Amino acid sequence: MLRFLARRFLWFVITVSTVMTVSFFLMHSVKGGPFDGERKLDPVIEANIKARYHLDWPLWRQYLQYVGPFNLDDQRALAAFDEEGGFALWRSEGADGEPTRAFGGVLTGDFGPSFRYKDFTVNDILEESLPISALLGVLSMMFAIALGVSAGIASALRPGSGIDLTLRIAATGGIALPNFVIASFLVILLVFLIPLLPVAGWGTIQHMLLPGLCLGLVFAAYIARLTRTGMLETLSADYIRTAHAKGLAPRTVVMRHALKGGLLPVVSYLGPATAGILTGSLVIEKIFFIPGTGSHFINAATNRDYTLAMGVTILFTVLVYTLNTVVDMAYTLLDPRITLEDE
Amino acid sequence: MPILDVQNLRVRFETHHGVVRAVDGVSFSLEEGETLGLVGESGSGKSVTNLALMGLIPSPPGVVEADALRFEDRDLLALSDEELRGVRGNEISMIFQDPMTSLNPLLTVGRQLTEVLEVHERLSRREARKRAAAGLADVGIPEPERRLDQYPHELSGGMRQRVMIAMGLLCRPKILLADEPTTALDVTIQAQILELMQKLQREYGTAIILVTHDLGVVAGMSDRVNVMYAGRLAETAGAVELFDDPRHPYTRGLLGSVPRLSGDTDADLDSIKGSPPDLADLPAGCAFRPRCSFETERCAAEPPPLFDLGGGRSSACLERDALGQPEGGAR
Amino acid sequence: MSDAHQDSRWSIDEAELARLTKEARQFKGESLWSDAWRRLRRNRAAFLALLFLAAFGGVSLLAPFLPIPSPKAISLRDEPGTPEWLWSVPAAPTKAPDRGAATTRSTRNLWNDGWRHRSTVILAADDEGAAEKARARVEETSGRGAILETYPADEGDGLEVYASVPMLEGDAPEVDYRATDFGGTATCWDVSTAGADEPVGAVHSLRLQSADGTDFDAAQVSGWSVEARGRSVRLFLGRAEARPGLGDWVVAYRLAAELGSLPTAVLLDGTLLPGSAEVAWEGTPRGAQTVDAELLEGVEAMDLGRQVAASLAASPIEGVTYLETRHEDGYWEFKGLVGAMDRALRRARIATFGLWQTGNWMGTDGQGRDLLARIVWGSRTSIIVGIIASLCSLLIGVLYGAFSGYMGGRIDNLMMRIVDVLYSIPFIFVVIFLITVVNEYRTELEDQFGIDREKIFFLVIGAIYWLTMARVVRGQVLSLKNTEFIEAARVIGASTTRILLSHVVPNVLSIVIVYLTLTIPAVMLFEAFLSFLGLGIEPPKVSWGLLAVDGTQAINPIKIYWWLVVFPAGAMGSTLLALNILGDGLRDALDPKLRGKN
Repeated sequence: MLRFLARRFLWFVITVSTVMTVSFFLMHSVKGGPFDGERKLDPVIEANIKARYHLDWPLWRQYLQYVGPFNLDDQRALAAFDEEGGFALWRSEGADGEPTRAFGGVLTGDFGPSFRYKDFTVNDILEESLPISALLGVLSMMFAIALGVSAGIASALRPGSGIDLTLRIAATGGIALPNFVIASFLVILLVFLIPLLPVAGWGTIQHMLLPGLCLGLVFAAYIARLTRTGMLETLSADYIRTAHAKGLAPRTVVMRHALKGGLLPVVSYLGPATAGILTGSLVIEKIFFIPGTGSHFINAATNRDYTLAMGVTILFTVLVYTLNTVVDMAYTLLDPRITLEDE
Repeated sequence: MPILDVQNLRVRFETHHGVVRAVDGVSFSLEEGETLGLVGESGSGKSVTNLALMGLIPSPPGVVEADALRFEDRDLLALSDEELRGVRGNEISMIFQDPMTSLNPLLTVGRQLTEVLEVHERLSRREARKRAAAGLADVGIPEPERRLDQYPHELSGGMRQRVMIAMGLLCRPKILLADEPTTALDVTIQAQILELMQKLQREYGTAIILVTHDLGVVAGMSDRVNVMYAGRLAETAGAVELFDDPRHPYTRGLLGSVPRLSGDTDADLDSIKGSPPDLADLPAGCAFRPRCSFETERCAAEPPPLFDLGGGRSSACLERDALGQPEGGAR
Repeated sequence: MSDAHQDSRWSIDEAELARLTKEARQFKGESLWSDAWRRLRRNRAAFLALLFLAAFGGVSLLAPFLPIPSPKAISLRDEPGTPEWLWSVPAAPTKAPDRGAATTRSTRNLWNDGWRHRSTVILAADDEGAAEKARARVEETSGRGAILETYPADEGDGLEVYASVPMLEGDAPEVDYRATDFGGTATCWDVSTAGADEPVGAVHSLRLQSADGTDFDAAQVSGWSVEARGRSVRLFLGRAEARPGLGDWVVAYRLAAELGSLPTAVLLDGTLLPGSAEVAWEGTPRGAQTVDAELLEGVEAMDLGRQVAASLAASPIEGVTYLETRHEDGYWEFKGLVGAMDRALRRARIATFGLWQTGNWMGTDGQGRDLLARIVWGSRTSIIVGIIASLCSLLIGVLYGAFSGYMGGRIDNLMMRIVDVLYSIPFIFVVIFLITVVNEYRTELEDQFGIDREKIFFLVIGAIYWLTMARVVRGQVLSLKNTEFIEAARVIGASTTRILLSHVVPNVLSIVIVYLTLTIPAVMLFEAFLSFLGLGIEPPKVSWGLLAVDGTQAINPIKIYWWLVVFPAGAMGSTLLALNILGDGLRDALDPKLRGKN
């Protein structure tokens, strides 16, 4: 277990640093920089802005500053004498006399200032938007699992029946159609034809239901398909016959003996599904005007707010990687035949 | 009174390609503590017979009918699902061919054993665990307590089959249906398992229906033998009589195709020509006719009934008397 | 058989050899492909999907041939038009639009969306008889049938005659710029002017001389305008005296760095050109740069309007005066092969259907564009993107996977680790990031390398979707590498190339085809996704993603324009569904484990 985690961590570091380095240098190789706007800035103002965002530094130094953990803003950050003349580590003040933090950069969880929202840091924006996106994501994942698993089981218990056929057609449609198309249909249906839910906005539980459903449906379709195949395979296994021969009730057989094996493919799909939900949230947040991280990311990308775009990218890389590791570990808990050292 | 009485059992599967009569009019009975061998090629209906007794034929496509299917004083076909579940694994239990696939790989051995007791004897988990450990010890598994927490893939093949047997005998069933219990095992392990089954049978007085295609196993284990061919009984006899004096050409063929160490090793095995019939498309008359060397015109008329030969023997061959004196066999 | 092999074992006579060869051929039996085809045909769903895709793809690729309205011509409508019945004939306007302040000739022209992609010759006629004669002259000159609309003239009691013919290339007054022997330098900088705070751009001391030393006469220039794309600048100089067949000049030059603002004043050989702003040159110039400039002379094509005018000048019709020619371009012009194909298809359309075209069978969108046409053209875009981007990913994936599998060992290990790392990145975010960064360079890429946004798009998508392909191909190559028939080929001395081409490639091909069919719908979805977010195909071009944007915008509480949602979704859904079904069918058909079975 420990060896597995250590190896995973090593690859995690490699992955994240690759993403971070590549996107950093891509961003800074853009000619002109983010403040080349339509209006020509006064040279003094421009220089001030550049200094504020350290764009006047050599590239390697900007990179070190971005990554951290030391704040290069302050020459004496590592160690300094305080007012009484005592020696203190990690305490100091910046060139302008204002106290600065000795630590900074991505390694300390600080993604720097936003290039567009002048008075906000990337962290401020993430703090505000991430809970919204997380709520949406969790909600849609719940929808996906609940709908997908129950549809898959219903299908698998009566293969070839009308229910099975209907659910399979629905699942295939869900997989083929992009989520924004599904969203359009659901909005027409649930908001206008049968006015159950409010249109757009954010705040109450009703506002969350429709976006969550739209986002989750595609994955529900995949999960239904996986559950169906998994359950069919498991239900035809010899040990199911054994369980019946033991005199267990059909319900017990399905719940205790079939479900675990049948859902294994679903568990291994949860990693990709998380990445998919993050991707899908970009579209859904745009359609329903939800102020989540996805909306901010798209705005950042189109407005050249590179620090924000990078922050979101790095954050989501970390998130997906962590979840994948968790899913792999969960898998070994469910299937005793797999051990983590096998990698 | 026999503990199990089967009269005219018929099982058919209604598939897209037509109706397959997997079992077609099989009758036999089983006495208490007796071992009945059920022998035949694959597809002859032996396993289906067992599954039908347990009520485990999937329906659809399977349909099970019988004139009588009496277990002690109950009619198995008339029981409700719930009553049937009370019999299954409790009074009649079953062990399967491949212990690798017949045990749930995702649950511990202990969980799979205790659930039988929880269902049938309503024991608490703790008591059930104690009983399960005792059961494992009975089948000769060392350190039973530790094994309970292991998963099937952590056990060897022979060990797994012992677990299966322990599971089958946990509730002291009156009948144990053993479906090729040794086929998937090494020869040395086979012998151990068979010995174990015999020992436990003596201890518990369980009747066993032993399904196998291995004549050696049958010879060593059973009191009586039913030979099945294409869903019908070909011959019934005591084990000794059957091996000494087979009264059906199919039985003759089966016995002839077993290689022996003693005797002429250069002699060809007397294998049965042709291949097992397609159950969806049986020839008219005796199903064994196309492969039979005693075939006459009478055989094509209709499937021959089971003729009582006296002394508990019967044979479904019109030419049974011609088989009386062995000629040209490998023996 | 060479003479060296006169060994008895090797001497087989011709007839024997022929017999053996024939026998060997028969023995070979069914090839992988015919077996797969047979099984695919038996899979009814997959076969239907294949037929559907062939039909749909064919229709989309033949879009310029179809008698459907233009996908890009807008009309002045305030809301989407409802679908029309198949049999209803698109109505030509029975009366001129209401006269009022807003009505001009061009809005009247736009108002009529009966059909598109046409050239309209506008003439003034005294009466109906003269109008008919004018129509005959237009038909004669253009060689195409014309439709006539007449409206009472704005002033006086004559008629305004609109004679429309299907538009062909060459109708529009295109200007072809040809090199002259004038050339020189341009000096540009930003100057501070006395009045304003902001510095303004200026072209200072533009000097143009012919090869023999003659100065370009600035007095010939009547006006100027400037167009800058990135660093490349085109300065248009109008002729003081219009000359038939000759258009403006262009001075083209390329700056070393972008100017802060477009020039507002131009000094040509010391003369301030007419129309230049008053610039106080004495300010401090910033970013002064002197670059080479080149003078081009425009030559105007003999377009339809000129032809009709010339014909009328040569033999006038009484009571008919040529006014002007308008063009309604209904298609996107592609370059290269696609453009040539489109032009041929358009000619075929005009020959087959003339001016007839369908009505708005699926209604129109908010800008009056025909939805059917937009779906057809959008599918065309999406299908092309899907296919080309998948081929990109195929190329990368196969090369990477094959190399990795072929090398084996440590290199293979490393290369697959890289794939693993890439797999665990949420790619969409990186891609969006990449696309926006690349967008910063788009004008330069387009000018210098001819790489437009679509091509970047293909490459970027191809660069993501190769991972699975690489894994699959690598696995296949790895397992093939050690199979006996490869060993056998190696033993008889086949070269590596030969082994690769005749043994490895065919065996890898089947699995590659399966993954290709499964990649295409994924790529199409991705295209739709990016276009939906405004990062892919850009308006006025159309693709599924943009249609979906229109769809979501069409949903509002007051009125549901259902056709804007249902029809594009139907096209998108059925195509993607068919591709998925076909992919699954192909996987089953090409699965070697199922070979020969049904």
